[in-house]
Amino acid sequence: MATSAASNFLSRGTSGNNSNMRGLVQFIADLRNARARELEEKRINKELANIRQKFKDGSLSGYHKKKYVCKLLYIYILGWNVDFGHLEAVNLISANKYSEKQIGYLAMTLFLHEQHELLHLVVNSIRKDLTDHNELFNCLALHAIANVGSREMGEALSGEVHRLLISPTSKSFVKKKAALTLLRLYRKHPDIVQPQWAERIISLMDDADMGVALSVTSLVMALAQDNPEQYKGSYVKAASRMKRILVDEEYASDYLYYKVPYTHVRDLIRESLQKILNLALEMPKNVQQNNAQNAVLFEAINLIIHLDTETALMKQISSRLGKFIQSRETNVRYLGLEAMTHLAARAETLDPIKQHQSIIIGSLKDRDISVRRKGLDLLYSMCDSTNAQPIVGELLHYLQNADFAIREEMVLKIAILTEKYATDIQWYVDISLRLIAMAGDHVSDEVWHRVIQIVTNNEQLQIYAAQNILQYVKADHCHETLVKIGGYLLGEFGHLIAEDKGCSPIEQFLALQSKLQGCSSSTRAIILSSFIKFVNLFPEIKPRLMYVFQAYSHTLDSELQQRACEYLALASLPNDDLLRTVCDEMPPFPERQSALLSRLHQKHGKTSDKRTWVVGGKDAQAGEKDLSLAMNPGLKRAQSSNGITPANGATNGGSNGTNGQHNGSSDLAGLDMLDSGPAEPKMLKAPNLASAAHLSPDWEVGYNKLLLKAEGILYEDGQIQVGVRSEYRGEMACIILYFSNKAPTAVSSFTTTLDLDAVEKENLTWEVKGLPESTIAQGLQSQQMIMFSAHNVFDKSPTIRISYLAGALQALTLKLPITIHKFMDPAELTADDFFKRWNQIGGAPREEQRVFGVKGNDREFNDSFIRKTVDGFRWGILDGVDKNSKNFVGASVLHIGGGRKFGCLLRLEPNYGKQMLRLTIRATDETVPPVLIKIMVDRLQIGQSTQPEEFIPPSQREISDAFGNVLVL
Amino acid sequence: MPINYLILLSRQGKVRLAKWFTTLSPKEKAKIIKDVSQLVLARRTRMCNFLEYKGAEVLKDALKLETNTLPLDSKIVYRRYASLFFIAGCNSTDNELITLEIVHRYVEQMDKYYGNVCELDIIFNFQKAYFILDELLLAGEMQESSKKNVLRVISAQDTIEDTEVDEEVTKIM
Repeated sequence: MATSAASNFLSRGTSGNNSNMRGLVQFIADLRNARARELEEKRINKELANIRQKFKDGSLSGYHKKKYVCKLLYIYILGWNVDFGHLEAVNLISANKYSEKQIGYLAMTLFLHEQHELLHLVVNSIRKDLTDHNELFNCLALHAIANVGSREMGEALSGEVHRLLISPTSKSFVKKKAALTLLRLYRKHPDIVQPQWAERIISLMDDADMGVALSVTSLVMALAQDNPEQYKGSYVKAASRMKRILVDEEYASDYLYYKVPYTHVRDLIRESLQKILNLALEMPKNVQQNNAQNAVLFEAINLIIHLDTETALMKQISSRLGKFIQSRETNVRYLGLEAMTHLAARAETLDPIKQHQSIIIGSLKDRDISVRRKGLDLLYSMCDSTNAQPIVGELLHYLQNADFAIREEMVLKIAILTEKYATDIQWYVDISLRLIAMAGDHVSDEVWHRVIQIVTNNEQLQIYAAQNILQYVKADHCHETLVKIGGYLLGEFGHLIAEDKGCSPIEQFLALQSKLQGCSSSTRAIILSSFIKFVNLFPEIKPRLMYVFQAYSHTLDSELQQRACEYLALASLPNDDLLRTVCDEMPPFPERQSALLSRLHQKHGKTSDKRTWVVGGKDAQAGEKDLSLAMNPGLKRAQSSNGITPANGATNGGSNGTNGQHNGSSDLAGLDMLDSGPAEPKMLKAPNLASAAHLSPDWEVGYNKLLLKAEGILYEDGQIQVGVRSEYRGEMACIILYFSNKAPTAVSSFTTTLDLDAVEKENLTWEVKGLPESTIAQGLQSQQMIMFSAHNVFDKSPTIRISYLAGALQALTLKLPITIHKFMDPAELTADDFFKRWNQIGGAPREEQRVFGVKGNDREFNDSFIRKTVDGFRWGILDGVDKNSKNFVGASVLHIGGGRKFGCLLRLEPNYGKQMLRLTIRATDETVPPVLIKIMVDRLQIGQSTQPEEFIPPSQREISDAFGNVLVL
Repeated sequence: MPINYLILLSRQGKVRLAKWFTTLSPKEKAKIIKDVSQLVLARRTRMCNFLEYKGAEVLKDALKLETNTLPLDSKIVYRRYASLFFIAGCNSTDNELITLEIVHRYVEQMDKYYGNVCELDIIFNFQKAYFILDELLLAGEMQESSKKNVLRVISAQDTIEDTEVDEEVTKIM
């Protein structure tokens, strides 16, 4: 198809569309015949004048208006300025004819930008088209909103867009446009998408139409990246949808689902990935040819790299990538290098990549700059202390011939690598200076600032650095950046090498002085500062230095003049106390984040689409917080701290307070850091609808019943019935939920989401063993199995949010009857045993006691009710243990994670006359009684229905009377 | 994985179609078109289809802009079909091959509609080329990957237009 399309691109003449406007065709043909640009301009100006006249005359028919607007559009596309006719174009939008409206909208999207004044005129027309019952009009309006995406439009129309998206009467092609329009608005103004829309939007991922599902998934992906909690329901949906697609092997268009990481879904994804990989590997020929398949393959490889660094898949991948980077296909080479860079950033060992080092270095010589760039990225990522020297050497070598476009980035990267992996301090100095000498023009200030910081902070570097830089400065051709470094370093450390051959003070001075003339003002300022330091260090050459200051005290540059005058005055003071203080050696720079990395990342910047991983260097992965360069021990500050703190001006080093100098040194110290950037726009915190705070009415009936039973109906209404079956073994619980559709039609997009209060997340965990079918036909049932395990005593029960589409979105939140007592097993004890243990446990804190009556009227306690309840709470009721036969005594064992077992004992003393109960629970662990007693009291208080009987809450006295006859053990 | 812009460029460097999926000022658009044209036209055959173009950085420097309207780090995915370059700007994290396939899908779609599409079709029926693109991509995202569906919508549009033209003609007569 492609080739046939391509080959015919030139071969045919004008193809006619019968509805075309003849005037327009003629005009375009005229322009095509105008060979010279002047002729084209003449023709265009003539036409513009004509159209302007026509518009001025007014009373044009819709057809003519459309034709002229089309001509204007064509002129505009050719790149000419069209500054009139916008109003006529906007008027076309409110036309009744589709073709006119269409051109009107096209013109609007091309002519009007976000802040255009005419834009507020069209909002009402767009609203009218959005609510029109003609879907084609809806579509045009959606296109317009998606194209312009201004805040005003978003605020005024997002409600309508959302309505079109979720309305059951919307056609598929409207829905998908609405979804993407909403996405566009969200990207521009995140607050336009309201939090409460989340659930409804997620449910659309199950839409039968692939186009809708695809569009909605794009939308959900953007939303979920910013609000992972709120959209967590989408992960499961995406995974199950993906599975369906994979089974049918239509995976090309939906690869994007892989992006969403979710622990539960991971296994599933991994299986799918293996399958994709196998498919791709089985057909190596197709890998070369088929872009779509490669697209999925590379996305899959990136995900595998992201998910896991240890699986067998990794091995396959690195050998595969090794082949890719040698491919004859440029695209594949490019992508192979990119994926390998990602691998280098993630993998624990770089060995598999190092095998390919020579090929990667070879890619620096590729004739395509895109590939060269990727090769550079990869070399940067795969560098460590073992291969730093060859790689840096190779990069330096390549730098000489590199394109200008990537030189600055290369210099930065070389500088970072040199600093990071230097094992040999001399190597660091050599490379850095060579780098600057070679590519001086591309060296940003950060690089030489950093060199000075490091030399200043490392005592053993100073002599070597000073010697070297002096040699550079002595040379005839020396880059200005080197002069800057030379000025600074010699001023600070020149005295350390003054005894060496060829490094005497006068030679240092002459070297710097010879460069003074050819340098910019800022460099001269640095040299002048070095000279005042020389005055302090080398009194023997003071006259020559004074001469220079005198000469510069007449210069036209006010900054240099001020400096020279001040230095002159400072050097001429009768005693040199002040001079010595001011020119004291610079204190080491505070350890700080390398500005180089900030600089590099500034270049990468933030992309609008936040991916779960960053394809890039290791440090890009680490995020900006951890950028601080881990300096090699070799370069760690070895400076013995200066005993004497200079009285003043110490932090300014050689500064005597002149503005320029001050700036200079603070630049060095403070190397402008990358701002942390503006705060991300956050969406308003949305309510978690699955949480216990949003329980549906009527949840309690089934819950209370199931507290005492292992299976039964949790919830039922006209449309749905939720049944529960549960089995407890030790600390584990297996819960199976049954969902029956009682509605007269099938329900779709059936989704369940589990939630638990954050404080309990450690105490009770679960694993979802299966998902309910997303569509449940009428009268049928679907089920879901969940395994819970109790790691600690927990107090709050998990909740489940069930949502489905039956016309509109229906949703309910129910509390699952999973409570701590369910993990108990009844125990048998003899009377002796019971009391022995009871006494062993003793009172508080391992005891909890409560006295209470029935809640509400018409209800009472009686023996059978209490027996049933206590039994339901999984106590072994020990008959005949208590002397008072009315009392209940029970024992049980609670199973908790880690094989722990807690013994629990219960004593319940009823007073049927007063309708009061006293409940005492003791357990071998103090966390158990409070929780247990709370659920039991809540349940017991309900009592059993009876004839009307007035209930008066007991007073304290009544209570003590009532229990007066009971012997408390 | 949004595409930020799609530009159709003739070999002579003339823009045949430009569609922007992010909001940009006219100045920014002109600058991008100029830079991208230069980059792409300089490419030789058998080079890869991907190019780095730091759009935002360039714009910031060139136009002294405070705000970044473009995603900072972007790349270009382009492909040449006979005399036309199809150029898509996308984010650096995007899947290049998928972007390439989207471009290809657009070409196929036009091929299906015009029947052996050529540059002239796009010149003379530029509005149609825009309409087809609108059906394929919205907000820079793939909207419909089924060729049949897109074709159906576009044909429906044509039918409406034809009837409207017929009405016009009858009225004039």
